[in-house]
Amino acid sequence: MEGLLFNVNGGYIEGIVRGYRNSLLTGQHYNNLTQCETIDDVKLQLAPAYGDFLASLPPNPSTSSLAGKMTDKLVAEFRYVLAQATGSTAKFLEYLTYGYMIDNIALLITGTLHERDTRELLERCHPLGWFETLPVLCVATNIEELYNSVLIETPLAGFFKGSLSHQDLDELNIEIIRNTLYKNYLESFYEFVNTDSDFKGTPTQEVMSEFLQFEADRRAINITLNSFGTELSKQERRKLYPEFGKLYPEGSLMLSRADDLEAVTLAVSISADYKAFFDAVGLTQGGGGLGGSDGKSLEDMFYHKEMEMSKVIFTRQFTPAVVYAWMRLKEQEIRNVTWISECIAQNQKERIGNFISVF
Amino acid sequence: MSGAAGREPVFPTRQSLGLMKSKLKGAEVGHSLLKRKSEALTKRFREITRRIDEAKQKMGRVMQIAAFSLAEVSYAVGGDIGYQVQESAKQARFRVRAKQENVSGVFLPHFESYTEEGINDFGLTGLGKGGQQVQRCRETYARAVETLVELASLQTAFVILDEVIKVVNRRVNAIEHVIIPRTENTIKYINSELDELDREEFYRLKKVSGKKQRDVAAADAELLARREQEAAEAIAQGDTKAKPEEEAPDAPDVLGEQEDTDVIF
Amino acid sequence: MAASATTYKDRQFLAVIGDEDSVTGLLLAGIGHVTDGPDAQRNFLVVDAKTETSAIEKAFVNFTQERNDIAVLLINQHVAERIRHSVDSFADPFPAVLEIPSKDHPYDPEKDSVLKRVRRLFGE
Repeated sequence: MEGLLFNVNGGYIEGIVRGYRNSLLTGQHYNNLTQCETIDDVKLQLAPAYGDFLASLPPNPSTSSLAGKMTDKLVAEFRYVLAQATGSTAKFLEYLTYGYMIDNIALLITGTLHERDTRELLERCHPLGWFETLPVLCVATNIEELYNSVLIETPLAGFFKGSLSHQDLDELNIEIIRNTLYKNYLESFYEFVNTDSDFKGTPTQEVMSEFLQFEADRRAINITLNSFGTELSKQERRKLYPEFGKLYPEGSLMLSRADDLEAVTLAVSISADYKAFFDAVGLTQGGGGLGGSDGKSLEDMFYHKEMEMSKVIFTRQFTPAVVYAWMRLKEQEIRNVTWISECIAQNQKERIGNFISVF
Repeated sequence: MSGAAGREPVFPTRQSLGLMKSKLKGAEVGHSLLKRKSEALTKRFREITRRIDEAKQKMGRVMQIAAFSLAEVSYAVGGDIGYQVQESAKQARFRVRAKQENVSGVFLPHFESYTEEGINDFGLTGLGKGGQQVQRCRETYARAVETLVELASLQTAFVILDEVIKVVNRRVNAIEHVIIPRTENTIKYINSELDELDREEFYRLKKVSGKKQRDVAAADAELLARREQEAAEAIAQGDTKAKPEEEAPDAPDVLGEQEDTDVIF
Repeated sequence: MAASATTYKDRQFLAVIGDEDSVTGLLLAGIGHVTDGPDAQRNFLVVDAKTETSAIEKAFVNFTQERNDIAVLLINQHVAERIRHSVDSFADPFPAVLEIPSKDHPYDPEKDSVLKRVRRLFGE
C-alpha cells in the first residue's frame, strides 16, 4: 500500500536525498584525502563534492572553519529538503532538528546562568537547531523567564514539561538537563514513528524503530559508563535512560545498578550486538586505556554500527528515514574529514586511518 | 681625581695601615668566595638554560599530543565543547604550590603541581557522547600542564638566577678592579709616607745624637782636662781614685739609645 | 630574591590567554578558576580573530600585575606576538609567563622572549 501513495508526497524528497547520498565521499576519496600534505590539498580534493561552499575559505584554513563550511552545505541541503516536505514527512524532518535544538537550548541556558552576551551565544548555536523564535529566548535575563519562554516559544516544550521545573534549570548540571531532554526527545520521536497514521505499518516504522532503539541503547550505555566516578547518583542516572530500546527494561535496570564495567558488560549481554562490541573493545575500556592507534573505542564501534545501519536504510524505499540516514552519514563524513585534516594539520599521520568510511 | 681615586682618604699612620691590611685581606677572601659563588651559580644557570631548551622542545611535542586529543574529543562528541567547558569552569582542580630551593644562598622557587581532589567541574561533560574521550583528553592535558609547570619553574629560576648572577658578577668585578687596587694603593701610600717619616726621624735622630756626641765629647774633653788637672794635682796626693770616675761618661750614651726607640714608637 | 618569599606564597593558580582550543584543553585539565561573588573573575581569556589587542593587553596586565594569585601565565605564542612589547618588557620572576604553542601555530623558539634571552647569553 505504502508504495502506491508515498511518492505522491514523499517521492521528490526521497529522490533528492538519494541524489545527495551519491555525493557522499567514498573509500577512494578518503584514500586520496589521506595522501594530502596540507589542508589546501584537502580543500582541493573536496572541491568536486563541496564546490562553492569551500571557495570562500582562505588558503590553509583551520580545520574548524573547514568543518563549519561543510556543515553549511549539509544545512543548506537539509533546509531544501525540509522546504519540500509536507504532512507527516515534514513533521518527521522537524523531529530531526529537535536534537540540535536541545543542544542550542542547553547552550542558552548555560549562557544565561553565567550572564553571558547572548548574541555571542546565538552565533554558536547549531544552524540545524535554529528556529525562528530562538533569538527571543535571549531576551530572558533570568532563568525563570527563560524557562517560561522555552515553554511558550519552542517546539521543545513537551520535553521540558513534566520532567524539569525552572528550579531544575538553576540547580541541575547542564549535562543532566541536556540528557533528560534528549531522553524525552527520543521517546517522543519513537512514539511518533510508531503511532503516526502515515508511518504505522510502513518501512519507516520498522527502520526508524530500530534506529531509535539503537540510539536509546547507545545513550544508556554511554551515560552509564561516563557516570562512573562522578556525582551522578544511580537514581538520577536511571532517569536519563530512554524507556525503550533493546535493553529496556531488564538491561536498563541492570545498567542502573551497575557500578563497574563488568556489570555493564553483563547488562548489555542481552543483545548480541552490544556484547560483541564490548568483547571487541575488551577490558581496556574505562580503565583509562588509550585504545591504541588501531584498537577502536566503544564509541567508534557505535559509530560504525550507526553507519552500517544508515547504509542499509538506503535499501528501503518509500520512507523519509533515508533523510535521517543521509544526515547521519553526512555528519560522519564531516567528522571524518575534520579528523583527517586535523591529522594532517598536526602531523599525526599514523592515526589518520582512524575514520569510518562507509561506501 | 686619579690621584685621589687611587687610594682612600686616610692619614698615613700605622693604625690605618693595619686597618687597610685587614681590609685587603677581607676583600681578597670575599673576592674568592664571590667568585666561587658566581661560578656555582653560572654552572647551575647553564644547566637550567640547557634544560629550558630541552623542555621547550618537549613542550612543543606534548602540546601537540594534547591538542590532538582534543581533536579526538571533537570527533567523538561531534561538536564543539569549548563554550560549555568555559562556562562550567568554577574551581581550579589543578593548582601549583611554590617551594624554595637553596642554590648557593639564592632561593629559587620551584612550582609543584597538585590536584585539588573533589573538584570536578567536567565530570558530566560528554555524558551522552564522547565522555571517555573527554576523560582521556583531560588526562592528556593534565600531563601537558605538568610539563608546562615544570618549565615555568625553570623559567622563573632562569630569570632570578640571571638577575643574581649579574649582581654577583658586578660585585666580583667591583672587588677585583676597584676595591683591591685601591686598598693596595692606600697601603703603598701609607708605607711610603711612613718610610719617609722614618727616614726623617732617622736623620733627625742622627743629628741629635751627633750633637749630643759632640756635646759629650766636649764635656769629656773638659772633664778630661779637669781630671788631668786634678790628676796632676792628685799625683801629688796618690793614683787610687782614677778607675771609678771612668764609668760615668757611658751613662748618657745609654740614655740616648732609649730615647731613640721611644721616638720610633 | 629575598622579597619573593612573601610574594609567591599565595600564588597557586595558572592563568591562560589563548585560542579556543588551547583554553578548552587547559580548562579540561582543571586549571580554570572563577572567583566567587558578583565581580567574578576568570583566569582565562579566549582570543579569536575578533578579540581586540587592547583586551589582550588588559588581561595580560590583570594576570601579571593586578592579581597576585597567579603563579604561571600561559599564553599562546601567536597571541603573545600581538602584545610582544608587553611580554618582552615583563621581566619579573612572578608570575612566570610561558609561551605555549597552539594547534594552528606550531612552536617557534625564535620568537620566545625567554629563549631569546637564552640565545643572547649563549649566542655571542
